[in-house]
Amino acid sequence: MQIMDFLNPKAISTDLEATEKKGIIKELLDLLIKSSDINSKDKDNILDVIMEREALGSTGIGLGIGIPHGKSANVKNLVAAFGISRKGVAFDSLDGEPVYIFFLLLAPQDTAGPHLKALARISRLLKEKYFRDMLVKASDPKDVLRIIKDEDQKKQ
Amino acid sequence: MIIKRKVKIGNRQGLHARPAAIFVQIANKFSSDIVISKGDQKVNGKSIMGIMMLAAECGSIVYITASGDDAHEAVEELEKLLSGNIDELNNKV
Repeated sequence: MQIMDFLNPKAISTDLEATEKKGIIKELLDLLIKSSDINSKDKDNILDVIMEREALGSTGIGLGIGIPHGKSANVKNLVAAFGISRKGVAFDSLDGEPVYIFFLLLAPQDTAGPHLKALARISRLLKEKYFRDMLVKASDPKDVLRIIKDEDQKKQ
Repeated sequence: MIIKRKVKIGNRQGLHARPAAIFVQIANKFSSDIVISKGDQKVNGKSIMGIMMLAAECGSIVYITASGDDAHEAVEELEKLLSGNIDELNNKV
């Protein structure tokens, strides 16, 4: 599985503006609406699902990374949105640090496999400090796309 | 002291983000180095991203290796965690 298999190039932003968790998740869902991965009428419902997951324990997993996620009957395949916050956002992270890099994942109901593989793929990319630094500095979505595509081809 | 143990993943949804976070929280209580391996992949048992990289599904086999003074206790506790249903725990992680 490659990241570009589940990340639509239209669902990438390097200018997330919100300053708190819910706002960031809304912006990431707007990206999925823009890329036609979800319907705007389902946004509130999906937002609730993702916020409920956050209430179980933050998906701010440390090192400036957040992977908010959830399952929804409104998607047929696993889809993702990617966003950068230049200023960083308080996200109740496990290491207490602000989050700069966001990968939002939305999976269909009753499927664990693709979700696990996507998490593995994202982890492999983001555990390298070099890639995290490059992504945070990316000038625009095209730049992000180039960085992710390069990495996708290198590691399988 | 180095202790290695084979474990079958019991969590129905596999080792997704939350089980990985809970695992790491427990692993970090111990001073021993902890390595988890699956197939030819070896990762740091104290790193959430390391554990998520394994994409360990329910029923898959992993090995926990702990090395250090508290290796025995670490392996005991982590084995129990991985073989059980982590999603039903109430830990807020």
